[in-house]
Amino acid sequence: MSEIFALENINLYYGNNHAIKNISMTLQRNKVTAFIGPSGCGKSTFIRILNRMNDLIPECRVQGSILFEGQDTYAKDYDVIELRTKVGMVFQKPNPFPMSIYDNIAYGPRCQGVKNKEQLDQIVEESLKKAALWDEVKERLKESAMKLSGGQQQRVCIARAIAMEPEVILMDEPTSALDPIATQKIEDLITELKKEYTIVIVTHSMQQAARISDYTAFFYLGELMEMDDTDTIFKSPRLKETEEYVTGRFG
Amino acid sequence: MIKTIKARRRKDAIIRSTIYALGSLGAIILLSIIGYVFSNGARLVSWDLITGDFRTINTDVYVTEGPGNFTDINYNGDLELFYSERWGIGFVNTFNRAGNEAVEIGYVHPDSPFNTSLDRNNRDEEGNPRIIPIRAGTTVEKGFTTETVFLGRFGAERIAQILNEGQGIREISIQTRGGGIRGSLITTLYLIVMTLALAIPIGVSTAIYFNEIAVQNRVTGIIRSMVDLLTGVPSIIYGLLGAALFIPLLNNTVGTAGGSVLSGALTLSVILLPTIIRNTEEALKVIPAELRNGSFALGASKTQTIFKIVLPSSIPGILTGVLLGIGRIIGESAALIFAVGAAIRDEVILTERSTSLAVQIWTVMGGERPNFELASAIAIIILGVVFIMNFLVKLLAKRLSKAIY
Repeated sequence: MSEIFALENINLYYGNNHAIKNISMTLQRNKVTAFIGPSGCGKSTFIRILNRMNDLIPECRVQGSILFEGQDTYAKDYDVIELRTKVGMVFQKPNPFPMSIYDNIAYGPRCQGVKNKEQLDQIVEESLKKAALWDEVKERLKESAMKLSGGQQQRVCIARAIAMEPEVILMDEPTSALDPIATQKIEDLITELKKEYTIVIVTHSMQQAARISDYTAFFYLGELMEMDDTDTIFKSPRLKETEEYVTGRFG
Repeated sequence: MIKTIKARRRKDAIIRSTIYALGSLGAIILLSIIGYVFSNGARLVSWDLITGDFRTINTDVYVTEGPGNFTDINYNGDLELFYSERWGIGFVNTFNRAGNEAVEIGYVHPDSPFNTSLDRNNRDEEGNPRIIPIRAGTTVEKGFTTETVFLGRFGAERIAQILNEGQGIREISIQTRGGGIRGSLITTLYLIVMTLALAIPIGVSTAIYFNEIAVQNRVTGIIRSMVDLLTGVPSIIYGLLGAALFIPLLNNTVGTAGGSVLSGALTLSVILLPTIIRNTEEALKVIPAELRNGSFALGASKTQTIFKIVLPSSIPGILTGVLLGIGRIIGESAALIFAVGAAIRDEVILTERSTSLAVQIWTVMGGERPNFELASAIAIIILGVVFIMNFLVKLLAKRLSKAIY
């Protein structure tokens, strides 16, 4: 077992608002880690520290040590673009670009300077296959990705992230805008993807966390209350708050 | 309960009928303006007006051969021809391009002495008068028989009669058709192209800078509200700017003398900037942040995100601003009177004074005898230009817009 992310004493402020309070955790390679907790507990903010998406928010300050494969990602000479090619992200609302399915998948590699048509074709096909979408869209790669259903759009977004050949895929409530069948497909996909990728998923669904994750972290009011094997968290949590939350008695 | 439903229905009906009434009033006003312009000016709109020269060339000619008898005429025009058999020349009553009554030469017999008439004021290298054959389609201004007679006022029938009565004709003054608007139309098109070529890159870049790159703080807020303020500034003030800044600038660099098409384009691009900046900003604002985040999360740089995601999606909105801008260029008159001038030209030179269609309307209406009909005709042509530009921009929007939904 090896650590891919090691975070120590992380504090995050939006202006004067202390949103993340002194969190330390490690994330294991090729495992699914679920972040759970009531709304506003800081889990979405925390996941964005991992690929530095919080950089885009003015007045947001991050303190602490974040080591990705042993390197400090917040160091001055660390290239944030390189970080984001290694740590992909899938958002809550499917956000395909208003372009063809093909161009959506090829967008990331193209931004990194891949121009060879055959190479791009191959990347697109492989990514769509890994995202379990190839058979559904192979006939209409030139059509707009916006025409697909919500679940398909979300899988385009996953394929888009896979196309970068990342180490880690961050998923911020990837199924909250989807119906149960589409959710099922995404969950199956996540189980498949963890063979190759490390996955961190923020979810509001206890069942989802229980079904797909290996580790679960429970956040509350900007603090990491408890983090352990998913089984432990759901069956015999250390804290009363965790138990109440996972059994649905609050949150 | 029933009563309240009834009361609500009555209230709804009143509100709805008010909306219908006011809406149709608006539509009627707009349609009647366009209808008025069309009914007034439609008669004058012709290809001839659009492509014709504005300036007239006057020529005084005299004949050296005596009269004869030229009977076998081969005239196939639409207008009634009044023909002088003695001189082999026929006249028609018509209207010139400005819509005023005029007498034109309708037909010249192949053997008529007017085929070898000589120019009074123009001699060749050896000092002999040049031969100016009279052609159909020129306007008769004045004529000199034994005394000076203003033939033009007589009407075609009387002129033919005078010539047939046998008085010795010594000289006739003819004029090419004038009053065409080709020069003003070309100037307007030049202004559109040059102004857009200046204003679009500057305006779009400014909007991108403020919306995508600059840190949102008080300074950008102040600049943004200043841009808003500039949108509402009357254009005559920009005209002053053009007169005070661009004309001297161009005089000293390019060597123009006074206003020119160039200074007009510079002035207009300043007028357009706030509109284009504002519309581009609005177009950029509606691009969802999720798209930008999606792009950043894939390791795209800011520049890549702007040029590959944000701009392609906002092209329709940007072109809306461009369309408004084109309308403004075509309709602008006050600022252009300073910057370009009101000199109606046939050959448009960028570094010289000229006039646009809108300013020409001002000129036409501003004289001692306002020519409503010609002004309306120009207005129709302006509407035509606006329509074509609209169509072209929409076409361009379809071509340029790489975003597909």
